[in-house]
Amino acid sequence: MFWCASCGGCEESILDLSEHLFTLREKAEIVFWPMAMDTKYDAVKALPDKDLTVTLINGAIRNNEQVEIVRMLREKSKIIVAHGSCAHQGGVIGLANFFSSSALLDRAYKDMPTITDPGDVPSNTSKLNGTRLELPAMRRSIVPLNKVISVDYYLPGCPPSPELVKDALFAVLSNDLPELGTVFGETKALCHTCPRLSSKPEKLKLTTFKRLHEVEWDANTCFLTQGLVCLGPATRGGCAARCIGANMPCRGCFGPLDTDADQGLNALSMLAALLEDTTPEGLDRGIKSIPDAPGLLYRFGLAASILGGRFQGGK
Amino acid sequence: MSARIGVYVCECGPNIKDALDISRVTEAASHVKGVVLAKTFPLLCAKEGRDLIKEDIHTGALTHVVLAACSPKEHEKTFQEALHDAGLNPYLLQMANIREQCAWICKDKKTATEKAISLVRAAVSRIVHHAPLVEEEIECQTDVLVLGAGVAGISAALTLAQSDRNVYLIEKSPCIGGHAALYEDLFPGGTCAACLLEPMLDEVLHHDQIDVLTLSEVTNVLGQWGHFSVQVRKKARFIDEDACIGCRTCIEACPSEAPNEFNQFMDNRKAVYIPYEGALPHVASIDKNACLYFRENACSACKAACPFEAIDFDQQDEARTFHVGAIVVAVGFSLFSPEELNGSASGTTKNIFTALEFERILNSNGPTAGNIQLPDGTLPQRIAFIHCVGSRSEKHHTHCSGICCPYLLKFALMAHHQLPDVAIEQIYTDFCLPGIESQKLLFQARKLPHFTPRQVTSAETLALSTKDHGIKISYNDSQNRPASIVVDMVVMGPAMVGAADAERLSEILHISRDKHRFFKKPDFLEPVSSTRKGIFIAGCCQEPQNVSQSIVQGQAAAGRILQHLVPGRMLPLTTTAAKVDENRCSGCKTCVDICEFGAIEYDNNAKQASVNKMLCQGCGTCAAACPSGAMTADHFTDNGIFSETIGLLEK
Amino acid sequence: MTEFLSTNRFEPSIIGFLCHWCAYECADAVGRSRSQYPANLHIVRVMCSGRVAPHFIMNAFKEGADGVIVMGCPMDSCHYRSGNAQALKRMTLLRSLLPAFGIDTERLQFAWVGAGDTKEFIHRISSMVGALRALGPVGRRAVP
Repeated sequence: MFWCASCGGCEESILDLSEHLFTLREKAEIVFWPMAMDTKYDAVKALPDKDLTVTLINGAIRNNEQVEIVRMLREKSKIIVAHGSCAHQGGVIGLANFFSSSALLDRAYKDMPTITDPGDVPSNTSKLNGTRLELPAMRRSIVPLNKVISVDYYLPGCPPSPELVKDALFAVLSNDLPELGTVFGETKALCHTCPRLSSKPEKLKLTTFKRLHEVEWDANTCFLTQGLVCLGPATRGGCAARCIGANMPCRGCFGPLDTDADQGLNALSMLAALLEDTTPEGLDRGIKSIPDAPGLLYRFGLAASILGGRFQGGK
Repeated sequence: MSARIGVYVCECGPNIKDALDISRVTEAASHVKGVVLAKTFPLLCAKEGRDLIKEDIHTGALTHVVLAACSPKEHEKTFQEALHDAGLNPYLLQMANIREQCAWICKDKKTATEKAISLVRAAVSRIVHHAPLVEEEIECQTDVLVLGAGVAGISAALTLAQSDRNVYLIEKSPCIGGHAALYEDLFPGGTCAACLLEPMLDEVLHHDQIDVLTLSEVTNVLGQWGHFSVQVRKKARFIDEDACIGCRTCIEACPSEAPNEFNQFMDNRKAVYIPYEGALPHVASIDKNACLYFRENACSACKAACPFEAIDFDQQDEARTFHVGAIVVAVGFSLFSPEELNGSASGTTKNIFTALEFERILNSNGPTAGNIQLPDGTLPQRIAFIHCVGSRSEKHHTHCSGICCPYLLKFALMAHHQLPDVAIEQIYTDFCLPGIESQKLLFQARKLPHFTPRQVTSAETLALSTKDHGIKISYNDSQNRPASIVVDMVVMGPAMVGAADAERLSEILHISRDKHRFFKKPDFLEPVSSTRKGIFIAGCCQEPQNVSQSIVQGQAAAGRILQHLVPGRMLPLTTTAAKVDENRCSGCKTCVDICEFGAIEYDNNAKQASVNKMLCQGCGTCAAACPSGAMTADHFTDNGIFSETIGLLEK
Repeated sequence: MTEFLSTNRFEPSIIGFLCHWCAYECADAVGRSRSQYPANLHIVRVMCSGRVAPHFIMNAFKEGADGVIVMGCPMDSCHYRSGNAQALKRMTLLRSLLPAFGIDTERLQFAWVGAGDTKEFIHRISSMVGALRALGPVGRRAVP
């Protein structure tokens, strides 16, 4: 197991296997897991190619070190599983692609309100006692794992549910493998398994969308029907509708049905179809009622979207 | 099998040949992946050109054909046929429009050539995504439903029935004949309306193949051209139509009255009534709102009086469904309400009449038995006929109704005929009298001894007010000077607008209407087509017109139907329809509502959408809206369009 | 027209998604009238502007289009009743996202033209080409 640009939630999803961890431990030897174990990169490098049965990689690709290590892991592993939204689609981390690298660094090192001593953005090379030190270089943009190495399977979710992780891991360990490229989860969008689907009328038109704090929303009615943005129609099912069960609309963490589809645009088409008023003012009102549309539609899928993020050099 | 694509570059005579470097285009095409043959030909749409393509398909075992030529709107069908003749599916064709989009719009040869190359490259990139499509056909229904039994509807029904078609004629009022049956004489010749109409109405009522449903209205329409399913509600008449002979005994017995809509509310009728003398079918009906029986069972005088036991208070509304191949909509018009005009005649309305009211006054079976008189019974001394009320106006209705000038002049002539001394004030802005007959009305009117045409700048400058016992009409004359006259009777020619329920009908029928409530035609080359295939529009519901024009349109609509809905003939289904991938559809219902044709059916149990090919028109809007990529549009697939785009942008 | 030929000037590539019934017919009519307009417009014919999915547009930008124009029937006369209204809603929402992607909103336009609105067609294309020349090429981004 390896983590790239990640919050650590996916690592937690392994711990959430609870008692199944014992089964896992019986069936497999964990060789490399930087978060939990002390293993050196060189030890892995020394392994023969394809020696590892499976490697789960979570997090998006942000810097060169990550590229180097995942390439190495690709060579040493029979199976690579992109684990979680960030490895699958770029995830929340991928939202950084709406900004240029310099804007991100400026924000981190100069403009953050909590910074009291703004200085220069540190360089990734420095000299200490005459020795040149090098930090991994930040790449121009975030990419999902499959843009750097070939990925065999995907475990979607932010984080993936323990059941899904368990099913995927044991499928791999029992050599009961689906078709290469399979994304674990349902083959249909969330609506199909959503307990609220029947409450959505065939005819639904909205003049504006509502934000959660603006309404007292019902616990049994389709969120879209209540005017709340829900990305369920544009998101793969398989999460057991956990958010819906907790009375929150789908935020899209399982990604689109096709690994290379643009989830944000799929959701955009669906939301646009719901708007009723096509006068310029009406449209403007409808569109403005979607809070931070780019962030909302691409919360997890920006790095995997068609453009991948902001055009550098554009206005 | 990998694609073997043939590219043909048409010279189109000198059209393409002279405007771009055709050999470079052909040369460039020959290097694109998949292209096994690239040829130039002087005129591909000619027989020799088509023969060349057909031969190559055989000898070169071509799997796809790209034509760099004119617009697909011009010759796609021609070449599809050529492919079909050569045994290749006609949808394995793509046209690059290098004539309208390159040769004809760009004088610079180099630029035009480069653009042509990119269009050809894009067409080749796209065509490998084309799938062979099968054209399906289904047998059509040949019965027809006609909505509205005015002259347009009646002439459509008769034309169809006379050609052995079954017709369901749906009329919302208790009798047939529409507005024309309310008139006394028709312009231009003063023909007796009843004499002209009655034989037609009689034939309709007694024709074996016409089923007349009065007091009926359409409630829902499903299906498409060749296969409509129409739901109709027939309201209870409370009279057994077969038993009633129209003897009026019940009417005499009835104690309750209501305003008479057939006399434009100028007098009253009984709660049980026959709309007017001579109304067909000549059968009484009971107005439930006015009848005392329906108010606490207070009265059943008619039932007691009827010698034929025709009164049936227990009659219920009846829902019926008709399966027809086409629908003719001929629901007529209504008039702009003069009350909408500013400052018009408050307090004086009793001596102000609309054209329809005046028609009833002139009619021998109207409220005054045909005598022109004021409501107090006195004879008018001076009548003003006002043209263009609410029409040709930026504020109300921009159109000219076209028939008001003739009928207002007809009124002038009829008024003079009945009251030779009456002074006639014709207040107009322009006379609109086209055709070979109408102008004669003006010549005749001008010869009347007391006829004064008064040209005004605009009907909008008119103001009506009470003056002594008369009505003062203030206006700006043709020189824009204020002027006024006082008359004791005013007759207005208001703008004709669509029927009052046109709005409701346009929703049920899914046909477009304009802001004047007229149903829209797709274009002027299809004068009796609505915006929905298989639904025809005839008469004043689509545009103001006179009686004979309405008859022509009814017949034209019938003709179009007879032309296409031939018993035993097959109708093609949309080939390039939308499709649902059932393994992907999550049942989110996004597509269901946006389909304007009701073609997407939703299965609540399977939680899945499906496309009814009989209804799908192939627009692809659902495919673009589907958030799962489960809906696809034949022939215009995502991959096909992506590849074409990439081809166009390749440098 | 020779001005379009002057060397070194940036020539924007525009992808146009045109509906079969009004917009494409209008483009044909412009051709038939032998009116000249910039050759920068490359047309993809669709049956209805409602067919144009947002990913058509983003793909065009990705593949190097400097501008995209969606053209359909005038608002109240869509051949398919309301496909153009669906396109309008979708494209307006997409347009509002473009700045986040570093794409000037001018680069995505829509126009509703009748089959005979040839003057409007030429005007829209010419002015779009002018606007895109001023904006310069769409930015590029290195995606590893």
